[in-house]
Order: sequence, then C-alpha cells, then structure tokens
Amino acid sequence: MIQSTSIKTFQYEDKKRFTADRAGLFLGFLLLVALPLLVQSSDYILQVFTHALLLASLALAWNLSGVSGSMSLGHAAFFGIGAYGSALLSLEQGLSPWLTIPISGLFATGVGLIMGLICLRLRGAYFALATLAFVEIPKVITDNWDTVTRGSLGLVGISGLPSLHMGRWHMDFGSSIIHSYYLVFAYFLILLGIVAFVFRSNIRLALQAIREEEFAAESLGINVNRYRLLSLLMSAFFTGVSGACYAHLVRYIEPGLVYSLHFSAVPMIFAICGGRFTILGPAVAALVLYPMDQFIFHPLLPAGHEFLYGAVLILTMLFIPNGFWGRLRKT
Amino acid sequence: MWTTILVSGFSLGSFYTLIALGFALIFGITRNFNLSHGDLLVLAGYVAYGLWKVWGFPFVLTFPVAILVMLPVCLGLQRLFSRLHNPIELNSIVLSFGVAILIQNSMLFAFSGNYRLIGIPILNQGFRVPGFYVSYGQLTLLLLSLVIIGTLYVLMYRTYLGKAMRATIQDKDSAALAGINVTAMGTLAFCIGAVLIGLAGPLYGCIHYLYPSAGHGVTLIAITITIFAGVGRLSTIILAGWTLGLAESFTVVLCGASWREMVSAVLLLTLLAFRPHGIWGKGEG
Repeated sequence: MIQSTSIKTFQYEDKKRFTADRAGLFLGFLLLVALPLLVQSSDYILQVFTHALLLASLALAWNLSGVSGSMSLGHAAFFGIGAYGSALLSLEQGLSPWLTIPISGLFATGVGLIMGLICLRLRGAYFALATLAFVEIPKVITDNWDTVTRGSLGLVGISGLPSLHMGRWHMDFGSSIIHSYYLVFAYFLILLGIVAFVFRSNIRLALQAIREEEFAAESLGINVNRYRLLSLLMSAFFTGVSGACYAHLVRYIEPGLVYSLHFSAVPMIFAICGGRFTILGPAVAALVLYPMDQFIFHPLLPAGHEFLYGAVLILTMLFIPNGFWGRLRKT
Repeated sequence: MWTTILVSGFSLGSFYTLIALGFALIFGITRNFNLSHGDLLVLAGYVAYGLWKVWGFPFVLTFPVAILVMLPVCLGLQRLFSRLHNPIELNSIVLSFGVAILIQNSMLFAFSGNYRLIGIPILNQGFRVPGFYVSYGQLTLLLLSLVIIGTLYVLMYRTYLGKAMRATIQDKDSAALAGINVTAMGTLAFCIGAVLIGLAGPLYGCIHYLYPSAGHGVTLIAITITIFAGVGRLSTIILAGWTLGLAESFTVVLCGASWREMVSAVLLLTLLAFRPHGIWGKGEG
C-alpha cells in the first residue's frame, strides 16, 4: 500500500516536472522558430545560429553512441567523410545535394563499420584512444589521394543547396540565409525526433544496461556487440549527414578543416556538458555554448577564444559529471 | 641510403622514447592518461623559443627554465586529476582533453598561429662516415635522449626510490600496504614528467616547427609508444620508441613525408586490435 502511494507521488512529481520542462522547451522552440524575424537586421546572428544548430545535431548524433558508455574522440572521421563524400559526388558527378547528402551519410556509416570492427573490442579509455588515433587514417588518405580528393588544396566551389519549389512555396537554400537556417532547423528537429525515439525504445534500455554492467547485460541475453555496433553506426550516419550539410553550407572544405580535432571535440564537449545520457542536454549545450563563444568570447579574444570549450569541459568533469541538463532533471 | 634511414630512425626513435617516458611514467603510477602531454611539450618548446629568440638566451640555458615552468604546471595538473571520479582512466582522458584545448588556445593567444623553429645552424651541418651521413642534430638528439633515458633507468632500477615507484606501477594497493606513500609517488611521477617535458620540449622546437596545435601529434606518439611497450612497462619502452622511429623513417622514404602522420595511428590501432597489453605484455586480450 505504502509502495503504491510512493509510486503515485513519484508519478505526480514526474508529471509536474514534465510540464515545467515542456513550457521551457516550447519557449525555446518558439524562440528558434521566430529567430529570423527577431534578428532581421543581422545576417551574422542568423549564420551563427545556423551553425549552432548544425553543431547541436552533431552533438545529438555523438550522443547516440555516447549513451552506450563508449566515449568517442574520433567523430571527425565521420564528419570529414560525410563532407568530402557529398562535396565530391556533387562536384564530379554533378549529382544533386539532396541525393549526395544521404549517400555520404552511408559512406560515413561504412567508415563507422570499419571503426567498429577495429575499436569496439576495446572498452573505456582504450576505445577513446583508439578512436582518437583512427581519425588520422581517413585524414591522411584524403590528404594524399590527389587524383580523387585534390589533396590538401581542398575543394572550392562546392554547390550550395539547390532551391526547392513546392507549389507556391519557393525556397532558395543556396543564397538565402533565412531559408538555409530553417532547413538546418528542420534537420535538427528530425534528428531530435529520432534520438527521442531511440532513447525511449528498448535500444536505449539495452545500451544503458551495457553501460552499467556489461556482463549482466550479456547474461540477460542482450547481444552486446550488436547493440554497441548499432549505436555507433547510427551515430556515424548522422554525423556524416551533418558533415555533408556543412560542406554545402560553407562551400569550402579541406582535409585539415573537416578532419580537425575540433569536430571530434566539440560534439563530445557539448554532450558531456549538457548531459551524456539525456535526450536534449547535448543540443541545449550546443545552442548555448556556441553562440556564447561567438558573441562574447570571439570579440574579446579573437585568437584563442575556444579556450571556453576546454574550461567548460574541465569544470563539468570536476563538478557536474552528469552534465547540467542531467543535473536539472535529477533535482 | 638504408644506413641513412637507420640513423635517422634510431635518432628519431630515441627522441620519441624521451617524449613518451613522461607520459608512460605518469600513466603507470597514477593511471591518468594525460592527453595534454604533447601540448605541454609544445608549450615548453615555445618557452625555449621565446627565451632564445627574444632575450637571446643560449640554447642550453633554456632547458632549466623550461623545466622550472613545467613543474608548477604539471603539479597543478595533478591537483586536477586527483579530484576525478571513477573510472579514472576514462575521466582523465576527457579532463586532460579539456586541458589540451585550454593550453592550445592559450598558446594561440600568446604566440599566434605562426610556424616557429629554433634554428641552430650547427645542428644542420654534419659529417660523413664511410657509408652514411650523420648530421650533428641527429647525433645530439640520439646522445642526449640516450643519456636522459639512461639516467632515468638508473633511477628506476638502481635506487630504492625507483623500486618504490616500480612497485606502485605494478600494484598500487599492495604497494600502499607495504608502506609506500602512493600519493607521494604520484607527485613524484608528475615532477619527473615535468622534467622530461622540459627537456624534450626545447629539443622538439629544434627539429619540428612549433605551432599551437602541434601537440596532438606528439600526444599520439606518446600514447602509441606507451601502449606498444605495454602499459606500465618502462623497460621495453626504448624498443617501442625505436620501432616507431624506424617505421616513420621507412615510411617517409618509401611513401613520402605526407604519410608520416598516419604511421603512429596505424601502429596504435593494430596494437590495440591484436595486442592491447603490448607486444611483450601478458594477460587477456
């Protein structure tokens, strides 16, 4: 009897928190929707938020593999493959970016499979070190395979996203900053939906069980290797798609840029600061920290403004290991 | 040509061993992976560069200053590491990754992104022995590295203190039960690490260009050699260093300099996939 009451109270509190959460989220969502109207005078602000949404989707994608407990420091490999795959397909074969972006996501999944076969035998720290080293391989190959990738010169003149005509609606993603903002926003929302679905499904339960106690999970009949590979592949696919979007938005890539440590570090930092095992935490962290970096620290310290990320990561590791979103949900 | 490759491989390999020793020692004793190792080393290189270029210090005198700068930095780092929660190994990677970003951006702020080299003309000259050519730079690198490694070996294998440190590496709890002050050994490891970084940093500035993000490659080298030698094993580390140095030299000659960055990564991944406890290590895979 006592037990059932306590469950009821728990549910009640859970519901109350849920509505508070919902209100906050809805407000944030509205702000993001209305942003182009609010900042009409400034393209720069909109550009920063477009990039922030892209980084948020990277952080969400990272978290898909992070939730299994593996800490990847090598997501730049997927990002770079996605960017290069899509850019080269559209440049050399003349394919539409609408086609090359998902294809390059599949390329990244292929690389994820290779990484998984090599690294997933390892656990914890050794997995992290192996993924850190792994990035060098696609990077150096891209750098040296001049005939296909044009080597370290990079790719210029990548086609922008083509415009889309739907009846009366005419969306010009290539040149209009507002339209490309909404496109990235839509992609971000879709990815958020997928992450929310995965996190509420049995896959998440399996991954969480693996993270907490691998042997116990295995003895319950969870195929540990299959689930860990699955989460890495999902993560690789969406990181690749984000990389492809980046290539078509920025329209210039080079190996040192898209395979840089930055794109391995930043999604991990956002995910850890936001809360590794939460749905929204990584995205919220990205949407707060990246604009903060660009609007406050970049003008103050043009060189070395990214120290913010390092500082935030250190503080999170020392004081709130669950991330601030994870902390909020607990109290 | 082969002898030239061998000479450069052994001299580079000895230097790599010097780079990795501090990393391996800190990891062995405290189980902290210090991913900011390479960045600290580049920082020491920058300190030496500043002293040499701006204040006109003789190059030899930059070593003690670099060591003096590194000591408080490394001890501060130890304070940070000591506050981590379990699992220590993984969390230390993430934490020191943050430290690495912090150091890189501070260097970018202080020294800008330009490429800098401590150019000492005599190091580029050399002499010809029948059969091959040795530059003074290679010779200095080889001899200096070997002397430092030798000194550390004497410390680790011929003194009582070294015995205590080796016991801590083997089993921390048993060492503590035997009356060894494990925390003090950790502090000592970070101090020795600082000295080694202070010695290797200026040398690094002589043979490689210094730029703020150069540390990443150095860290990878240190990781590769440490895991190659077997985690916590110091005696085999020079063999691991030479292997990597030779592998890089051969790759540069056979495939070109641009493939060099991949060598340590491939070596590390192959090792982790097949022999995660090191080439000479025992234990489960």
